Amino acid sequence: MLLEVRELSKRFGAIAALSDVSFRVREGEVLGLIGPNGAGKTTLLECLAGVLPSDSGSVTPRGIGKHLFYVPDGIAPWPSQPVGWALDFTIGFFGGRGELRQQIIDQLDLGKLLRQSVGTLSKGQRKRALLAIGLLSPQPVLLIDEPFDGLDLRQAREIATALRWHAERGRTLFLSIHQIGDAGRFCDRFVLLSNGRVCGEGTVAELASLAAARDASKTYGNLEEVFLALT
Amino acid sequence: MRSPSRRRRAPYAWLLAKEWRELAVARSWWVLLAAMGPLVGMSFISSVRTYAEVSGLGGTSGGVGEALAPLIGVWAPTFSACELAAVFLLPFVAIRVVAGDRQSGALKLELQRGMPAFARISAKAMVLLAGWLLAMLPPASALLLWKSYGGTLYPPELMALMTGHVLNAGLTIALAAAMASLAEHPSTAAILTLSVTVGTWIVDFFAAIHGGLWERAASYIPSAMVWQFQHGLVQLDTVLIAIVLIAAGLAFAAVWMRLGVAVKRRAYESIALACLAAALVFGSSLVNVSWDFSESRDNSFPEADEELLRKLPPLRIEAHLAQEDPRRLEIERRAFSKLRRAMHNVEIRYVSNTSIGLMEESRPHYAEIWYQAQGRKTMSRVTTAEGVLEAIYDVEGVAAPSDTSEIVFRGHPLAAPPKGAATMFYILWPGAVLVSALIVRRRFR
Repeated sequence: MLLEVRELSKRFGAIAALSDVSFRVREGEVLGLIGPNGAGKTTLLECLAGVLPSDSGSVTPRGIGKHLFYVPDGIAPWPSQPVGWALDFTIGFFGGRGELRQQIIDQLDLGKLLRQSVGTLSKGQRKRALLAIGLLSPQPVLLIDEPFDGLDLRQAREIATALRWHAERGRTLFLSIHQIGDAGRFCDRFVLLSNGRVCGEGTVAELASLAAARDASKTYGNLEEVFLALT
Repeated sequence: MRSPSRRRRAPYAWLLAKEWRELAVARSWWVLLAAMGPLVGMSFISSVRTYAEVSGLGGTSGGVGEALAPLIGVWAPTFSACELAAVFLLPFVAIRVVAGDRQSGALKLELQRGMPAFARISAKAMVLLAGWLLAMLPPASALLLWKSYGGTLYPPELMALMTGHVLNAGLTIALAAAMASLAEHPSTAAILTLSVTVGTWIVDFFAAIHGGLWERAASYIPSAMVWQFQHGLVQLDTVLIAIVLIAAGLAFAAVWMRLGVAVKRRAYESIALACLAAALVFGSSLVNVSWDFSESRDNSFPEADEELLRKLPPLRIEAHLAQEDPRRLEIERRAFSKLRRAMHNVEIRYVSNTSIGLMEESRPHYAEIWYQAQGRKTMSRVTTAEGVLEAIYDVEGVAAPSDTSEIVFRGHPLAAPPKGAATMFYILWPGAVLVSALIVRRRFR
C-alpha cells in the first residue's frame, strides 16, 4: 500500500463535499476515481494534493507532497510561456524526470507545440501539455483530474497507452474520470464516489459482487452497470 | 533542446527566472517603462528651464541659496515622476505578476513544490524591484544630461533621493502583492490597492486639520517619506518603518498565497502578523536618528549651532499656533524639525483651540512661542531659524557661537537650457522601450 486515506471530510458552508472518505492506493496501480458530476472528485484530489484544506481525516504517509503530484483540470499555467519552457521549468523547479523529457514529448505528440505559448493551445493540446508536466514530475504517485477530457478518440487512446507505459514502469496513477467507458478500459481498480461518499472500492469484479450483495436479482457485467447500481 | 546545465539550476533560481520571464511579457511593465520617459521628460525640462531662469538665463536676475540647489530645484521634481508611477502604474504590474499564477492555475502546480510561501513571494518582489530599477533609468539618465550641461552633482543627496523612491516602490509592491494574494480577482486587488493609497491621503488630510497623532501617523505615509528623501533627509525611524511595512506586506501576501491552509488559520496568522508589525512600527517610531545628506544642509542648523545645541540642558517649547496657520508650517519646517534632529532633550508642543486659527488671532497669547529651560522663560513670535536659535540661547543663558568658519552653501547656478532632453525622453526612450518590448516578448514566448 502506497497511500491510505482515512475519513477525509470537507465542507463548503452547508454543503458536505466529502464525507468520511476512506480508500487505499497500491503501488504501481492505475486507480480510477469515478463518480457523477458534483460527486466531489476534484475536491478529493485537491484535498489530497494540499491545494485545498480538508476539515478532518488523515492521509498516510505524512508529508504527502513528497509522494504525489496533482495535475488539475482546466488550467493554463504560465500562459505566456512556450510549452518547451514549461517542461524545462517542471524539470528544474520540481526536480523532475529530465531523462524522460524527449520520450514524453514523443508519446504525447508535443514536438510541434514546444515553441507555442501555453495560453494559445487548444483544449486538447493544453491537456497533453499538462499531462507532460505531470509525467515529468518526480513524485511516485500522479493524481490527474480528467486526463481524457478534451481529447478525441485517437488522442485518448494514445494518451492511455502513454499513461500505461509509465504505470508499467512503477508510476502509480490515480485518475479522476467521469467517462465510465474510458475508466473501465483503462484502470486496474476503482473508487466510486457519489455525493461526497465512497460507494465502493475495488476491481470491476469486486464492485460487481458488492452491487450483487445489495440487489441479487440483477447481474452486473460491466463497470457502467455497477456504477449505476452503486451510485 | 535546453542544455543540461540550465536544468541543474537551483529551484529558487528557476523561480526567479520564471518571474523574470513573466515580468518581461507583461504589457503593463512595458507601459510603465515607456511612460517613464515622457513623465520624467516633462518634469526635468520644466525644472531645468526654471532653474536656468532663476540662474539668470534670459536676462532675469540670479537667485541665491536653496532655489539654486539642484536637489530641490531639479532632482526632486524630476524624480517625482517615480512617485507618480509608483502610485498609478507600478501596482498594476505587481498585481499582474502576483495574481497571474492564481488566475492561470499555475499556483496549484507551484505550491506542490513545498517551497515556503515567503520564498515564493520574495522572488516576485525581487523581480518587481529589478523591474522598477530599470524604470528608474530615465531619471538616472537625466543626471548625465545635467552633467553635460555643466551642472554639478552631489552623490550623497542623489543616493538618498533614489533610496527614497526605491523604498516607496517597495511599499507599493508589498501592498499590491498583499492585495493580489488576498483578492480572488486582479481588478479587486487593484481597487483595494488604490483604496489604501487614497486612505494615506485621507490620513494626510486629517493630519493637516487635527494634528496630534494624525500628524505623527502622516509623517510615515509614502508621500511624506518621499518628501524627506527629496530634501536629502534620511530618518532611521522612517526607513525602519518602511522596511517593516514592506516585510509585513510580503508576509501577508505569503500567508494568503497558501491555498491549502484553512481560511480561519490564515486570518489568525494575518492578525498575529498585523500585531507584530504594529509593535515593530511603534518601536521604530521611537528611534530618533537621522542624517542630512543634502549639500545645502537643508535640514540642519549651522554646524556650530548644532554642536552647542547638543550640549544644552532640556528645553521645552510651547507654540500657540493653529494647525493650518502658515506660521506653524514655517517654524516647523525651518526650525523645529532641525531642532529635533540637533537636540534630543527638547519637547515641542503646539497649543490651539481651532485648526484654522483665524478666530484665535485676537486672543491675547495667540502666535506666542514660549521657551522654557532651567526655570527661565522667554517669549518670541519669530518663526525663522535665526529667531528661534536666538530665543533658545537667550533662555538657556548662553552666547551664540562665534565660529563663522563654516562654509555657507551658495548654490550652483546654471543658466543652461534643457538641450536634447525632449529628444531623449519623448522620442529615444519610448522608441527604445518599444523595440526592446518587441524583441524581449518575442524571445520569451
